[in-house]
Amino acid sequence: MNGDPQIGFERWLAEPSAGAAPDWLESFRSGAREDVRARLLPHSKEEAWRYTSVKSLLEQGFAQSDETMTALQPDDLEEILVPGFETHRLVLVNGRYVPELSAPGDWPEGVRVGGLRALLESDPDALRERINATVDEPQPFFSALNTAGLDDGLVVLLGPGAIVERPIELIHLSVGLDEPRVAQPRHIVRLDAAAQATLVERYVSLGNSVYCTNSVVEVSLGRDAILRHERVQMESPNAFHLTGLYLVQDENSHYMGVNIGLGARWARTDLNARFRGRHAECVLRGLYLAGDGQLLDYHLDVDHAVPDCRSQENFKGILHGKGRAVFDGRVLVAKDAQKTDAAMSNRNLMLSEQAEVDTKPRLEIKADDVKCSHGTTVGQIDPEMLFYLRSRGISEPLARRMVCLGFAGEIIETLGSEALREHISEQVGRRLEATSLS
Amino acid sequence: MTGAPAVEDIVRSEYEHGFTTEIESDTLPPGLDEDVVRAISRRKGEPEFMVEQRLKAYRHWLTMREPEWASVHYPRIDFQSISYYSAPKRPEDMPKSLDEIDPALLETYNKLGIPIEEQKALAGIAVDAVFDSVSVATTFRATLAEAGVIFCSISEALHDYPELVKQYMGSVVPHTDNYYAGLNAAVFSDGTFVYVPKGVRCPMELSTYFRINARNTGQFERTLIIAEAGSYVSYLEGCTAPQRDENQLHAAVVELIAMEDAEIKYSTVQNWYPGDAQGRGGIYNFVTKRGDCRGARSKISWTQVETGSAITWKYPSCILRGEGSVGEFYSVAVTKGRQQADTGTKMIHIGKNTSSTIVSKGISAGEGQQTYRGLVRIGPRAEGARNHTQCDSLLIGDRCTANTFPYIEVKHPSAQMEHEATTSKISDDQLFYCRSRGLNEEDAVSMIVNGFCKEVFNELPMEFAVEAQKLLSISLEGAVG
Repeated sequence: MNGDPQIGFERWLAEPSAGAAPDWLESFRSGAREDVRARLLPHSKEEAWRYTSVKSLLEQGFAQSDETMTALQPDDLEEILVPGFETHRLVLVNGRYVPELSAPGDWPEGVRVGGLRALLESDPDALRERINATVDEPQPFFSALNTAGLDDGLVVLLGPGAIVERPIELIHLSVGLDEPRVAQPRHIVRLDAAAQATLVERYVSLGNSVYCTNSVVEVSLGRDAILRHERVQMESPNAFHLTGLYLVQDENSHYMGVNIGLGARWARTDLNARFRGRHAECVLRGLYLAGDGQLLDYHLDVDHAVPDCRSQENFKGILHGKGRAVFDGRVLVAKDAQKTDAAMSNRNLMLSEQAEVDTKPRLEIKADDVKCSHGTTVGQIDPEMLFYLRSRGISEPLARRMVCLGFAGEIIETLGSEALREHISEQVGRRLEATSLS
Repeated sequence: MTGAPAVEDIVRSEYEHGFTTEIESDTLPPGLDEDVVRAISRRKGEPEFMVEQRLKAYRHWLTMREPEWASVHYPRIDFQSISYYSAPKRPEDMPKSLDEIDPALLETYNKLGIPIEEQKALAGIAVDAVFDSVSVATTFRATLAEAGVIFCSISEALHDYPELVKQYMGSVVPHTDNYYAGLNAAVFSDGTFVYVPKGVRCPMELSTYFRINARNTGQFERTLIIAEAGSYVSYLEGCTAPQRDENQLHAAVVELIAMEDAEIKYSTVQNWYPGDAQGRGGIYNFVTKRGDCRGARSKISWTQVETGSAITWKYPSCILRGEGSVGEFYSVAVTKGRQQADTGTKMIHIGKNTSSTIVSKGISAGEGQQTYRGLVRIGPRAEGARNHTQCDSLLIGDRCTANTFPYIEVKHPSAQMEHEATTSKISDDQLFYCRSRGLNEEDAVSMIVNGFCKEVFNELPMEFAVEAQKLLSISLEGAVG
């Protein structure tokens, strides 16, 4: 199957039936559709897909989804809300923005937040310069698929100096349909000069159905802008999840990203960051917990194209059962990008015999006055830590859980809100409890 | 580099003096097909099985594709323009004394502190040493024979010990392994064979100077070292002296086999011609080196100092099969000018309680491009496997490149593995400290760089280590400032 032209994606490529799209968008879509059709499927000989097979994804025969479950009532969301988490809440169901379920609240001056399709209907040219602006060409396979089906998503636009205090919460809810469907939201986030915001993306589901989310998130930060971007992936245990994040940063902007991966049967996350102005900073943190039959695959690509920027990548993983994780981090320091400071770290805790982790932290450096480092570790729970806890009367399962939570805590505590921190800790704790850790 | 024409003059003048016919008869015309493969085997008088193996390898090689994944760039190699066999020059064809040798070359020898007799050997003056594709002589045979150690060329081994060669050759690096290993298996010229019997500690460091002497002749060395249970051998390959030649492909294969409790220590110093300032004419060094720790508690240790060649592409590896076996890789690689190096190691942990250590130091200066590419794989049965990897890069100048591509695959929870990498330049503080104590900048840099590489030099046999330090200083001459 490897190397065949992409049969199996025809239904995925079905044209969105929705109303008239602006011409420029239509040409993006048709261009991407042709591009995908001419392309080979991602295969293991490709460096980016060395450890991850798309076979299981292909077998599902996902089709482009046009339906939403508008029958949902706001009360139905109760079980997926984070208690005490005060936010501007925006809800997408199966990739479509649903205003009836959202609670956006009031926005300060200069802020425009809402559904992508709705915005294009009222102002067809609003996103002409924003869509596909940060995605490198040729687009990676699944991003091109997303472009081909581009129809809805969330738009967050902050004008110069605009500050949104409360977190903007994007809930991407998936609800099972009769046949396996793919939702392909495109989120556009733009912060103009000196704007500040917190964006929390949460991918959740009702039930354990089989579906696929193939999201693309485009983030561009103007001069001095500050974005805290937290992404929590808690898809259904049978779901497939793909994210392509494309981040572009101007001078002196700050991006703080946290990626939590707990759900999905098969998840692939590509985080791409590129510096366009000097003295910018990018922090990418991550925590993944992969259990039986799960594959969580992370790819980081940080491009220090200009001098004087700082980046920090810190990903930690816990693997149990037959869980598999892949970490592929790349830091590229361009020629003349002097005074670059980049530090990458990936640490993994393996709790079972059948777990597997493949990690590949890469540095490519073409400038000399730089400070770059990376570190990776893979190991099991330190027996001395266990001994310490056991000698204080703590049972072995609890002691193991405590060590794991402590390990995960380093990432969880970087989340901005207390409510979310507690929610994630609880979820991680519950997962660890459910697995026999011995 | 200034003296290169002088060497060529000598070569040319000899041709003019009428040795042409003899030399032609000893060198196959450029090109490669089954007849050439048969001809190589026939000229070397090899046993029948070898011809078959070569042909098998050749036929498979035809189906393979040239690898393109390495971070190196070079014009496509025309495999039909290479001559695949060249016998050594006869004594009367060689320079008669050091007076005939390029003075620039001699100056470097002196800086390295190489004794006169050795200089003669290096410069190709007729003394016993290994030249070209065929071993002319191998030293110390008697002492070794007493200990029961076999140390000879592969061609001799094929005559005298065909069973051993048949049993082991290709068992670590099969001809299907990769493109250049496939080519080597088809056309390998000669190389070294070492067999250390059970329980024998090899009484001396084995060493061979490899030379690439004849022009436009691909050099396809084949080395096979077998250490039987409880034995020990230390092998030195290459030399610190600069070795010059036209653009040449060097695709060697080295296979090491360590049985129970055996230890093989393999050290390389490689300083082939890196090409001129524009990077023209340097040697392509595409090598497959692999050691197989077959027995329990066996140990294979690779140490390399790579300063030469236009392009280096090699990954000395260890397959840690035996329980408690140990693999080590210590490397210093220097790229300057337009040199490119894509090097590293693979540690494949299969057996229980296996451990490996990787220390890689890369120094990139001028427009040098350097890549560390390494794999650590801990298999599903490698309980208690341990790995520690450290790879540091030092950048000198703002046009050089240093890449680090580690691959880590872990399939057992009891594995403990750590990987650390740093990239930095020589700090101004360090330089200032040395300068304020009266060292000039070049000496200061050399001192700092030698400190940076110390961990690796400590692993080299002593004489080698001293030479390697000097070599490093010379390599970096003019790189700073």
